[in-house]
Amino acid sequence: MMTPLEIKGAIAAVITSAVILVATFTAGGIYRNRYETETQPATEPLTPEKLAAKGRSFFFQSCAHCHGQDADGGEDAPSLRKLQISGAHMALVIRSGIKDEMPSFAKKYNEQDVTVSEAYLKTLR
Amino acid sequence: MIPWDKLHGAITHFPIALLLFSTACDFVSITLKKLPFARELRLVSLYALAIAALASLGAVISGIALSKGDMWGRGAFGWHHRFVWPAFGLLVALAVWRLVVREATSRFGLCVYLCLLLLAAGLIAAAGYFGGELLLSGGGLP
Repeated sequence: MMTPLEIKGAIAAVITSAVILVATFTAGGIYRNRYETETQPATEPLTPEKLAAKGRSFFFQSCAHCHGQDADGGEDAPSLRKLQISGAHMALVIRSGIKDEMPSFAKKYNEQDVTVSEAYLKTLR
Repeated sequence: MIPWDKLHGAITHFPIALLLFSTACDFVSITLKKLPFARELRLVSLYALAIAALASLGAVISGIALSKGDMWGRGAFGWHHRFVWPAFGLLVALAVWRLVVREATSRFGLCVYLCLLLLAAGLIAAAGYFGGELLLSGGGLP
């Protein structure tokens, strides 16, 4: 069995590890919130450039993992450059996904988010 | 502007390499107990583990800054995190335990420690693998 010193060490280890993990996730959450607040657009109407800029940040959050940071395709996902589909079709794919190929983002992004993502994808044409 | 991608790439190899090295040292010192430097190997593994735990803090901080606080994500990024967090927690816990107990380990305590060390080494290797996949597949970081 374990000695009293080992048990003491195990308790210290679990507490330290838990404290560090909680602190890490708290700091990460705070940083994430601050980042999202800073990247929120102003209340004035967005120009197409600003729409696309916001869409670009969504692209890096959710699409670049698979489609590549330059949107030129990844290992398992096609290039999003020069897409020959309508804006509505883009929005539909973002919302619904593609069975067994791409997840749906309907729960993650609202209509406005989808619109700005669509605006960014159009700039890649 | 701090180049977090470069910083993360530079720091992150230390905990990976040192944890794997520490695991190897421990297993060699235990399987080859009659080696004249077996005791020294255990000491080296202790320091390697302690430095790995310290370096992992730097790797985690730079990683959080790089991902803009996204602690999970999707695809290879999500898998990287699924392995990183348990590896990080386990690495810190093992280092603390080892620093408290030092050489005064029972047979049972040492067995549990080695099993967890092996698990941590596997987790960190997997996290490193998916980190590399992220880099090779074009990033995916905000």
